[in-house]
Amino acid sequence: MHLSDRVTGAVLVALGGAAAIVGSRLPAVPGQDVGPAAFPLVIGSGLVICGALIAFGVGRSFEVPEEEDAGPGPWRLGGLRALIPPALLAFYVYASEPLGFLLTGAIMVLVAAFALGARPRLAVPLAIVAPLLVHLAFYKLLRVPLPAGVLPAPW
Amino acid sequence: MMDLLEACRMVAQVDVVVAILASAIYGLVVGSLPGLSATMATALLVPVTFWLSPIAAIATIITASAMAIFSGDIPGCLLRIPGTPASAAYTDEAYAMTRKGQAEMALGAGLWFSAIGGVVGTLSLVLMAPLLAEMALSFSTYEYFWLAFLGLMCATLVARSSPIKAIASMLLGLLVSCIGMENPAGTPRFTFGLTDLLGGIEPIPALVGVFAVSEVMRAMVTAEPPPLPRRKFGSILANQWMLTKKYQWPMWRGNIIGIIIGVLPGAGADMAAWVSYAMSKKFSKEPELFGTGHPEGLVEAGASNNASLASGWVPSLLFGIPGDTITAIAIGVLYMKGLNPGPTLFTERASSMYALYLIFIIANIIMIPLGIIMIRIASTVLRAPRAAVMPVILLLCAVGAFATGSNLFSVLLVGVFGILGFVMERNGYPVAALVLGIVMGTMVEQNFVTSLIKSDGDILPFFERPVSGVLAALTFGALLWPLGVWIWNRTRGRRLAAG
Repeated sequence: MHLSDRVTGAVLVALGGAAAIVGSRLPAVPGQDVGPAAFPLVIGSGLVICGALIAFGVGRSFEVPEEEDAGPGPWRLGGLRALIPPALLAFYVYASEPLGFLLTGAIMVLVAAFALGARPRLAVPLAIVAPLLVHLAFYKLLRVPLPAGVLPAPW
Repeated sequence: MMDLLEACRMVAQVDVVVAILASAIYGLVVGSLPGLSATMATALLVPVTFWLSPIAAIATIITASAMAIFSGDIPGCLLRIPGTPASAAYTDEAYAMTRKGQAEMALGAGLWFSAIGGVVGTLSLVLMAPLLAEMALSFSTYEYFWLAFLGLMCATLVARSSPIKAIASMLLGLLVSCIGMENPAGTPRFTFGLTDLLGGIEPIPALVGVFAVSEVMRAMVTAEPPPLPRRKFGSILANQWMLTKKYQWPMWRGNIIGIIIGVLPGAGADMAAWVSYAMSKKFSKEPELFGTGHPEGLVEAGASNNASLASGWVPSLLFGIPGDTITAIAIGVLYMKGLNPGPTLFTERASSMYALYLIFIIANIIMIPLGIIMIRIASTVLRAPRAAVMPVILLLCAVGAFATGSNLFSVLLVGVFGILGFVMERNGYPVAALVLGIVMGTMVEQNFVTSLIKSDGDILPFFERPVSGVLAALTFGALLWPLGVWIWNRTRGRRLAAG
């Protein structure tokens, strides 16, 4: 999503300010002036300054004008498609334990492939084969404890 | 000598040889797919390195990154889409050569001069590192603070965007590194009461999120690149010796610039390629030919980005300060494998260092035959539909993040950083600066706070020691550089307007 510099600058000012204030309230090490508060204070102040400069448009002359790859029309709704991958990762977090890796992985691959415009002829075999191969590599060779869930792997 | 023999024995182990070959193929394939960068290829390798011996682990990182930087040239040359950002500088030139019917020469130049750059860069690493190690032994926290800070400032200079946005990205990274208990007092800081955040945010989930998940997200909203037309290639290396002789001087200049940029903490292969291409155009006898399919810039920049890759290991191995995002990952792997970066690495673990040099040389030599095969099958590999590649990458992101700590919270983090990276990139905030901030945050803070405690809150000792004084001057130079450029452009613009 493309936001104006004013918005991102303001977000940085707010974030930096919050970090500096919350950070400065951290308990100090007894008998020492410099403690865990010093660094967040410096960083937070820096972020406030940078955010303000960005909001006022300083330094924009250095930016390479980016080519708009998506038109304004499909962008409105189509932009939400970008959230599919993180949503699938969140799905993995909550589903992999009860469903097991193979089923969760198959659903992830299937949804992502369809979202990218794959035909069922490609997406379905991919959703079956890819999780199996990944499971084989990570579970058998690298010994990562992937959850079995309702559909345990054949090995 | 004994160390060298020991190193040969270490590299000749079966697992190391297999690791080199497998990661070479992996690096070539991933680097050649548009949008999948060398950094991403390396980040996804980290979970695999957990289960390898130390030398094999480092061999995978070195080989995969070198191959990926070369093979990024392939789609750049054939499709005008750089496979990795380090190829972007000369993509137009290479594509122009392809249109003139010289695709073989363009690809061959990418391969041949990448290999030369890699070998020369390695030699610089071999020569420079022990010399600098002597010096580094006398460094105190002040010098380390300035070095780390200088690295962060260089990372902001590299970004081809607003320097203020780059600095903001870097500060954001440093802020992320504040999360957790690893601070001078050991109190939970910015953890929002979440136990999962007590240990801080590991760089790997952040890296995978920012570089890989955000790429999958971008694929969701952009059109698929055009498929590659099938074509037969003639001899790849036929004209390369002629080019080497003809453009010997630009080649060396590219190598040297690449080495210098690589050694600078924070600046990596992308920057080296851009600077070298610009240099080549400026000093060429035929600058008017640039952009029309002229191999000179390709020679110089192709050598430069691979040379910087090797010399980027100098600050990483000596000070634990990454030369670029790839070595930032490598440092994590070094720590994990008990090869803690520092000057003593060269004295106490000399054989491991020799092994590392050997791997670099081997990787750059096998790059030539494997690269030729890759070029020949490129039209098949690049035919792999994006709808098949990206879902698998996403699955690997999830499993890879889970594997690094066997905890599901890192998978969530990967998603969060994916969104952050996607939004930042779309708004002109360079993500590499964010990553370096996250990787180096703890180190910067530690040296900053320890130095302040030593000096009793006084600022003066930060500048008093000779080396720290020089480093401080360099850092402020990097900080004020954009301002200088801005003023210079301003006054020149006025003068032009007046005249």
